[in-house]
Amino acid sequence: MSSALYAVMRKEFRQMTRDKRMMALLILAPTLQLFVLGFAANYDVDRIETATCDSDRTAASRALRQGLLADGTFIDVGPARDCRRPGDDIRDGRAKVVLVIPDGYARDLASGRTADVQVLVDGTNPVIGRYASSAASTYLNLVSARRQLPSLAAMSAAAGAEIRVPTISVAPRVLYNPAMRSAIFMVPGVSAMVLLIVTTIATAMGLAREREMGTLEQVMVTPISRSELLLGKVMPFVIVGLFDVLLALVVGTWVFHVPVRGSLAVLGLGTCLYLLSTVGVGLLISTVSRTQQQAIMGGFFVMMPAILLSGVMTPIENMPGWLQPVTWLNPVRFFVEILRGVLLKGAGVVDLWIPFVALAAFGPAVVALAVGRFRKRLA
Amino acid sequence: MEPVLVANGLRRRFGDVNALDGLSLEVLPGELYGLVGPDGAGKTTTMRIFAGLMDPDEGTVHVLGSNPTDRRSGVREELGYMPQQYSLYGDLSVIENLRFFGALFCLERDVFIERTNRLLAITHLESFRDRRAEALSGGMYKKLALACALLHQPRVLLLDEPTNGVDPISRGELWELLYEFVESGMGVVVSTPYMDEASMCHRVGLIHRGRLLQQGRPADLVGRFVDTVIRVDRHDSGIEAVIAEHGDVILGVSPLGGGLRIVIRSQAADAVAEALRGAGATIEPVRPGFEDMFLSEIRAGGGT
Repeated sequence: MSSALYAVMRKEFRQMTRDKRMMALLILAPTLQLFVLGFAANYDVDRIETATCDSDRTAASRALRQGLLADGTFIDVGPARDCRRPGDDIRDGRAKVVLVIPDGYARDLASGRTADVQVLVDGTNPVIGRYASSAASTYLNLVSARRQLPSLAAMSAAAGAEIRVPTISVAPRVLYNPAMRSAIFMVPGVSAMVLLIVTTIATAMGLAREREMGTLEQVMVTPISRSELLLGKVMPFVIVGLFDVLLALVVGTWVFHVPVRGSLAVLGLGTCLYLLSTVGVGLLISTVSRTQQQAIMGGFFVMMPAILLSGVMTPIENMPGWLQPVTWLNPVRFFVEILRGVLLKGAGVVDLWIPFVALAAFGPAVVALAVGRFRKRLA
Repeated sequence: MEPVLVANGLRRRFGDVNALDGLSLEVLPGELYGLVGPDGAGKTTTMRIFAGLMDPDEGTVHVLGSNPTDRRSGVREELGYMPQQYSLYGDLSVIENLRFFGALFCLERDVFIERTNRLLAITHLESFRDRRAEALSGGMYKKLALACALLHQPRVLLLDEPTNGVDPISRGELWELLYEFVESGMGVVVSTPYMDEASMCHRVGLIHRGRLLQQGRPADLVGRFVDTVIRVDRHDSGIEAVIAEHGDVILGVSPLGGGLRIVIRSQAADAVAEALRGAGATIEPVRPGFEDMFLSEIRAGGGT
């Protein structure tokens, strides 16, 4: 390593460790954010507030209601306030679901007629709405099927032969995340996001700060080359980023029980390629910024779409066809694929060759672009 | 003797402003060249072009025969530059700043230690080795910046307003330091807005609106001054009336103590002095200074 490159790195580390706030931003903030966002970014739906409007008031109607509330997916908030307008409880937010059992429910069942039951669902949040209606239908279909068994038996006895109804039995088996806990899926995504924010902003500001403080002017008259200067400025942030990933793994496995099924070496390689991309983007931003403020603005301008188009929040396959190719320019997308693949599925470099090749191309390209754009001139 | 720095017809525009308008000068080894001019005259632009931090729109610069922007020529190893504004790392200590810039010039460890010790000694910064640069006084800071610019023992040193914001005692020390290095054969260009510092240089270029108005040894330049300077011991309405009456021959009036300092065209000097005495003033002649010469040059050169 050239002495100038080493000198810039050492100086950068010294300034970083001396600045308490910077250290907090680089080490503490990402860990804390992962901890908080890991809990917050949760798509698991349970404890859906449920009101009941039981106009039947029979043992059968009570059994239906208790069955629905039994497993904790739906929790009881009591009877609806006005059974003539059951939607009121949803409108004022008291309940997400109202179960309406009309008068005559038990009577209809006993006489073998179809009994009508209504389930009102709050669809403002489609995730909760969809989940609530499907959970309610599943339960009610089950109850309905169970009610058919005695009739079927009676009919068989009457006919003197067993009457069969053909059915399909579905036994889904969920791989990699059998409990389907969203934290396991979200924590890798959030890690990639947090890492992007920290390293991109820190590098973008680093060079802009030197420009703003006037120190760049003194450095530029020395024989140091552009690549030595820029690499020296970004390498410390790559190292800090690797440390952050390690912390994220610790928090992820201990707090959120994210499995580590793949090889840490593969993960390390992916992280290095990803960090090269994020600091490269930061460098590129700093070559077009004169002040630290502009660097921060530029950073946000780039990071917002990078996060939203990464597949962390919403699946890329759900995006419209014309938008999907845009995500091919997004390093966050590829790192999230690597993280999820390695951690959850135990995938290797061969399984993940597409994101690996993409990152290996993007990082050096963006760093080279930044070095090319950077001029050892003041104006 | 071969000049160490040659600038030829430098022009540089910033939007509508002509920062440099055909500037040419040469600096010899062992020469302390002063670039003297008011704020906005083009001093910093000149220095930055000399240091290879900026390209001129027209004209050429050669430092030790090479273009200073050419990294491969090795000219940067021979060039020292101290910018006008703060340019060291405030959050690093004195020794850390020196170590950083020493490493950028790839100094060997023992060479670095020997030079640092010597520079810290002559700048009287030894006892502040571990103090952060941002905690140094203005004068000490400039001395540290100078030390950083001298670490690699450049043959050409560019100092942009090194004495700006420095107290008079430290200013004296800085000039003493400069003489020491000039004597060893270094070619130094120093810019300053302070006219009194012009006389400290071997040769001076008067810069105004991006052009050199005059160039030469300070004594010679002042010697070319042909107008008369007098001191008047009072300043009242009578004196004001006399000045207003002779407005066409009075070239400059400035306050001096409780009275005034007046620059008069020499052929009219006696008449004006007579009128001032008539208004009750006592008059004594004053030796013209660099500032008088500069102002008269600006007048001759076509307005301020």
